[in-house]
Amino acid sequence: MTIAPELAEPVLEELRQVLGDEHVLTGKAARFNRARVPAPFPVHRWAERVPDLVVLPGSTAEVSEVVRIANAHRIPIVPRDGGTGLTDGAVPLRHGIVVDVKRMNDIKEIDEVNRTCTVGTGINMLKLNEVLGKYGLIYPDDPASYPCSLVGGRIGTSGWSLIGSRYGHSRDLVLSFDFVLPSGKVIHLGDGAGHKLSKSSSGYQLKHLFMGHQGTLGIATEATLKLFPKPEAELSPFFAFPDYDSAYRTVGQLARAGVATFAGAVLFDEWKVDYLRRDDEAYISQPADVRALVCAVAYGYEDEVIAGGRRLMRIAKENGARYLGDEVSEGDWAARHDRYATPLHGRTKAGQVVPMSWHCEDAAINYSNLPQVRIEWHEIVRKLRERFDMFDDWGMFTYTSANTGVDYLAEIDVGIWEQQLDDESWAAWVQAKKDIAAVALHYGGSISACHGSCREGEVDLVPQELGGGYDVMLDVKRAIDPNNIMNPGKYGLDRAYQLDEGVGR
Amino acid sequence: MSTYRYSEQSQPPDAKQITDVAIERFDEVFEVDPKLMSAHVVQQVFPNWDTLRIVASRHDHLDWMHRHWAEKVVSGQRLLDELED
Repeated sequence: MTIAPELAEPVLEELRQVLGDEHVLTGKAARFNRARVPAPFPVHRWAERVPDLVVLPGSTAEVSEVVRIANAHRIPIVPRDGGTGLTDGAVPLRHGIVVDVKRMNDIKEIDEVNRTCTVGTGINMLKLNEVLGKYGLIYPDDPASYPCSLVGGRIGTSGWSLIGSRYGHSRDLVLSFDFVLPSGKVIHLGDGAGHKLSKSSSGYQLKHLFMGHQGTLGIATEATLKLFPKPEAELSPFFAFPDYDSAYRTVGQLARAGVATFAGAVLFDEWKVDYLRRDDEAYISQPADVRALVCAVAYGYEDEVIAGGRRLMRIAKENGARYLGDEVSEGDWAARHDRYATPLHGRTKAGQVVPMSWHCEDAAINYSNLPQVRIEWHEIVRKLRERFDMFDDWGMFTYTSANTGVDYLAEIDVGIWEQQLDDESWAAWVQAKKDIAAVALHYGGSISACHGSCREGEVDLVPQELGGGYDVMLDVKRAIDPNNIMNPGKYGLDRAYQLDEGVGR
Repeated sequence: MSTYRYSEQSQPPDAKQITDVAIERFDEVFEVDPKLMSAHVVQQVFPNWDTLRIVASRHDHLDWMHRHWAEKVVSGQRLLDELED
C-alpha cells in the first residue's frame, strides 16, 4: 500500500481505535472503487483520484471522531454516499480519506402522527420506501438514480426530483439533519432548532446553506424527512408530435394548468427521439412522423388523479398530440425512476456501435428560453463530434421543476467513448462544458438545476453566475473549514485560502 | 415440461429488418442490426430462452416499479376514450 506520509501508521491506528480494524479499508479494490462517479472522465488519469484510505463509520459520533483526527493532521476528507452524482462531488481530488456513510442506514423512527421519519443518511430511498409502504406512506424524493442513491448524497447535492413539481425536491423534503463540521463539532440544522418543523423564521436559514455544498462544508449523518400518503393512483401518458414546436407548446400548457396532482412533465426533442429510435427499443416501432414527445405524470388518490388526468388529456388532445398508448406510456415512465440501469451505447460517425458512458449536462432554464438554448447546445455538441468521433449527441430532455411551469431542468445527453479519451479530447470536452454553461447563463438560467456545478469546465463560470454571492461562499468556506480539509479542490474554493497571498477574487 | 434441445436454443428465428439500424427476431424484441456491431463491439450469442428471460425480467421490473410508487395505474386510454365520447 502506498499512502501519503501523514496517513502513516499512527494515524491509521487512531482511526482503527475509533472504528475497529474492519472499518478502515486500505486495499486497492476499496480505494479504486471510490475514485470516481458515473460521469465520464479520462480513465488514463484514474490514479489521480484514488483516496489513500476509506473509512466506514457507523454513527455520528464516529464520523465526528474521524473528522477531528483528519483536521488535526490536515488530511483531506471526502464524504461519499451513493457515489451517483454527476459533478464529481464524491471524487477525491487530493487523495486523503473517503468517508463512506453506507453503514449508517438505519431507520431510527417512523412518526405516523407527524408524518416524518428519521434515518441514517446512508439509507437508499427505494429501500426506505419499501418499509414506509407497509405504513401506507412514501418519501417521494425521486432522482434518476432512485434505486442506488442515498439520502446523504441528496443533502450534499441538494438533489432534484422527477416528481418535484408535486412533492418538492430534496431541500423541501428534508426537514432537518445532524451535521459534522470540519472541526468534528456536531450541529443540528433545520428550520429553527426543530427536528420536525417545515417552517421557522428564527435566525438565518442555515438548512439551505448546508445542502448542495458537495461535501465542502461537512457531513450529514442523520436526517428527518417529510412523508406523504403513498399514492393510490398514478397516471403517466406519453404523447407524440410531428414537430418540436407543438410539443413545446403542449408541455408549457400542461405545466401551467394548475392541476393539483400534476407531478411533472417531460419534453423530448428531435435529437432525443432520433437517439431513442436507433438505440432504445421503446421507440423503434414509432412512425417516422413522430419527432418530439411529451409525457405528463400525476399522483394522488384515484378520484383526483382521474379528474386532473381528464384535464391533462384534453390539453394534449387540443394541441394535436397523439397518445402513444398505455403500454408505452406506463413502461417508459416506470423506467424513468431507474436511468442508471440502462445499458449504454452510441455510434461512431460511420454508424458502428461503440460502448459509451452517459454524460448529462444540465441547467435551470426558464420556459420561454428553452427553444433557443436547445439550438445552441446542439450546435456545441455538433462541433465537438465533428472533431472527435468519441462524442455522440443523445438529445435533450426538459423536465418541469415546479408546479407553475416557470423553469425547467434542461439536459443535453452526450455519449462519450470513455476508453478513447485522451488529453486533447478531454480538453475539448471541458471547453464544450464551459460553452454549454455559458449559454445557460446568457439566457438568465443557472448552470445546474440538479447535478451541481463543481466539475472541470462549468465550475469556472460559477463566480460569474453567483457574482457577490460567490465571495460570500469563499468567506463561509474559510470560516467553517479554516484548514481546507473538507473535500478540497471543489468549486474553486481553494482561492478562499489564497486571499492573504493577494490571489483570489 | 418441455425438452431442452441445444440446436433449437442456439438457432434464433430469422430476423426481420425493422428500420435501417434495427432488426426483430422475437415479437416486439428489437436488436441493433448485427452489421453495425462488427468493428468495436461484437454481438454475443444468447440462447433463445435467455433472450426471452431478459425481456420478461425487464417487464417484471417495470411492473414492480409501478406497484412501488402507487397502488394502481390509471389508463390514459380510458380517459381519452371518455373525452372522445
